[in-house]
Amino acid sequence: MKKAGEVVLLWLLILFIQIAAGEGYSPPGKPTNISCRSPEKETFTCWWKPGSDGGLPTTYALYYRKEGSQRVFECPDYKTAGKNSCFFSKNVTFVWVNYNITVVATNSRGRTFSDPVDIDVVYIVKPNPPEEVVVNVTEDKDWPFLQVSWKPPKMADTRSGWITLIYEVRLKLENKNKWEELSAGQRKTLQIYSLRSGGTYDVQVRCKPDHGFWSEWSPSSRVKVPEYLPQERSMWILIVVFAAFILVIFIWMIYMNFHSVKRYLLPPVPGPKIKGIDKQLLKSGKSEDIFSSLVVSDFPPTTSNYEDFLVEYLEVYVPEQRELIMDEGKDLQDDSFKTENSTCDNDSGRGSCDSHTLLTDKGGGDKEDGQQSDPEGSQAEVDTKSQEEALEEELLACSHENVQSPNISNEEKVKSWPLFSPLPQYSLSPVNRPNPPKTGKQHCLSDSLFTPNSLSSYFTQPGPSTTKGFRSNYWECSFDHKQSHPLHPQSAAHEHLQAQNDLNTPHVDYMGVPLDVHVLNVRPSEYVEVQRVSDEDGVLLHPVSPSQESSRTVSHQTEDYSRVRMVNNDNGLLLLQRDAIEEEKSMCPYQEDVVSRASITPTLQNSATGINTALPILDESAASGYVDTATMFGLPTY
Amino acid sequence: MDRAILLLSVMCLGVSSQPITDSQRMFSIAVSRVQHLHLLAQRFFSEFESSLQTEEQRQLNKIFLQDFCNSDYIISPIDKHETQRSSVLKLLSISYRLVESWEFPSRSLSGGSGPRTQISPKLTELKTGIMLLIKANQDVPEIFTDTSNLQLAPYGNYYQSLEADESLRRTYELLACFKKDMHKVETYLTVAKCRLSPEANCTL
Repeated sequence: MKKAGEVVLLWLLILFIQIAAGEGYSPPGKPTNISCRSPEKETFTCWWKPGSDGGLPTTYALYYRKEGSQRVFECPDYKTAGKNSCFFSKNVTFVWVNYNITVVATNSRGRTFSDPVDIDVVYIVKPNPPEEVVVNVTEDKDWPFLQVSWKPPKMADTRSGWITLIYEVRLKLENKNKWEELSAGQRKTLQIYSLRSGGTYDVQVRCKPDHGFWSEWSPSSRVKVPEYLPQERSMWILIVVFAAFILVIFIWMIYMNFHSVKRYLLPPVPGPKIKGIDKQLLKSGKSEDIFSSLVVSDFPPTTSNYEDFLVEYLEVYVPEQRELIMDEGKDLQDDSFKTENSTCDNDSGRGSCDSHTLLTDKGGGDKEDGQQSDPEGSQAEVDTKSQEEALEEELLACSHENVQSPNISNEEKVKSWPLFSPLPQYSLSPVNRPNPPKTGKQHCLSDSLFTPNSLSSYFTQPGPSTTKGFRSNYWECSFDHKQSHPLHPQSAAHEHLQAQNDLNTPHVDYMGVPLDVHVLNVRPSEYVEVQRVSDEDGVLLHPVSPSQESSRTVSHQTEDYSRVRMVNNDNGLLLLQRDAIEEEKSMCPYQEDVVSRASITPTLQNSATGINTALPILDESAASGYVDTATMFGLPTY
Repeated sequence: MDRAILLLSVMCLGVSSQPITDSQRMFSIAVSRVQHLHLLAQRFFSEFESSLQTEEQRQLNKIFLQDFCNSDYIISPIDKHETQRSSVLKLLSISYRLVESWEFPSRSLSGGSGPRTQISPKLTELKTGIMLLIKANQDVPEIFTDTSNLQLAPYGNYYQSLEADESLRRTYELLACFKKDMHKVETYLTVAKCRLSPEANCTL
């Protein structure tokens, strides 16, 4: 019981103490931020920031101690400088002496010391702002400037040199925010130039001791600068007028020389120039005329009547050496021959001038066949375009198809020559000059492989040794007429043939030259010239370069010998019948040595001119007059 | 005759005014040199202080009060009133002594960067200049005796303080004292110059 009472009392006591303690009474907080300033290096003032007062009235006291002495002094004046401050008068202010200042806060609960602060008066000087700032605008009307003058603060004794001040001026326009600061040193006046005409300025001044703090800025002084820049409108008007005048002159100059300027800036683009094409024709729109120079007029054959293409006979051009043979041939086939001697014309085929038509016209089957199929003697004049590139691409095959049977397979209903390669052994190979005399038949023929109905085409490449001089390749075709009867009658016609018809071994005798380009002037149509007929079986063909052809396009309508009209790209020689002469273009016989030659111009594949000459060789003998030259002719090269 | 007297008086004035102008010029030179030295001292001190830790700075502040500068034996006016009351010659002599007292210890100023070694020769030059000024303004022989008395112990407290063991504290004290003394000399010379200037307002 007692214990409980004591415990209760104890508890109550503890509570009471706690309550008493919790009332909020506490020692004051520590004063902070003690700062001192001296305006003139003769007196100074210190301020502090009081801490919490702990709920009780708190008093503050400032104590200081000078260096070298332990004696503590208290602040002499708490009032002059306001609350929480201490003012040190002149009597107690010593320069070059360190003061150690401490502020003590005291209340009933206790006292609190602040952190001590060491100060030296020399280094805490912050003067008052300069006074009597006067800003004048000079009377100079042309270029006015500002004259700023001021006086040092009253308290600062600069006169005796006790304190040395330096000044700074700043100014800004009335409605702007940026100040421009200028240093004035120790002077008390300053001139400011480069003012805006008609602007209003605000000017302020401040000062600083040589070792101390800047003072506050003085109050602004406002001043207005008069308008001194002349606002001359007339000058601007003059400038504008002058510029306009110059602009007008410039435009006029450009206008006068518009074309030359335009040409200078935009040079004309050169137009296309293609040989053979006339621009005017292009503009006129006559497309037919345009392409006239590009087109072989005879191609494609407008008449679809192949009957016209039937060749009754083949004109073979035989060189003079073989005149004898020719004569013989003449006797044999005089009715079939047409004396060609007098019928030489410009556009005749090569053999047209001097060669006799060996072949009779259509009547004789055998004869004609023989004639026609006489590959050797007959000169197939085929207007072909021979071009080198065409030659290389495609060989004229001396077709020799044997078309004995009238039903030669051609669907074309053309008579095909039964041209046979005389010697199977002869492969398609270019004939070399030295070789031929013996071999004779090197001609391109492929011979035995052929079946009469087959149009096998051989493409023989012209010999690589084709010289430049020769635009055309020579084919030497030897037709083997062994097979065919029709060849026999033509053997007589071999007179035209260069090769010895009678000879078993065709003697290939090339008059290599003649094919100079000029001579072989043929029209766009392709020519195959039988250069020579070697043996009965071989016909030497040589293509005629098309370049010459074009210039000598002549239609021979008067010729009644058959010519090889064209050579099919695949294989055929198109031999024209007599009637079909008009469509035929023969090339002019070579004037020179070539004249006597019978030449079959090989047909080549379409030349660049794009003419695809299909020359089915017509075989009179057979139903088909198709001579497959491609297969038969090899290309001798020189 | 009158003209001769007039001429003579003018010449005398001209002659007499010359030393003043010379003195002014020399004062200007001396003041500028002292200002430069004071700036140097300020820079050294600030560099030293910035190299210290904050804690050390507080301790040094406390320590500083307990020690003395080596030039404390030189009695110098410490307020404006006293300074203005002193004569020019006294101010010059005090300045001279102050500069002289630092001539030797300035060599031991260490720490930081900058031309520490240039301080001593500059002090020497300044001392020479002040001596010239003293001689120029010395027209009262009695002052000379005063200065001689004061020269008895130029390095009075210096050797005492040499025994301090803490080099860091010593450096701090040296720099602080040096800065204060330079400012003193600058102030004295400025006041003396202004007092000698013919104009009432000393604008320097």
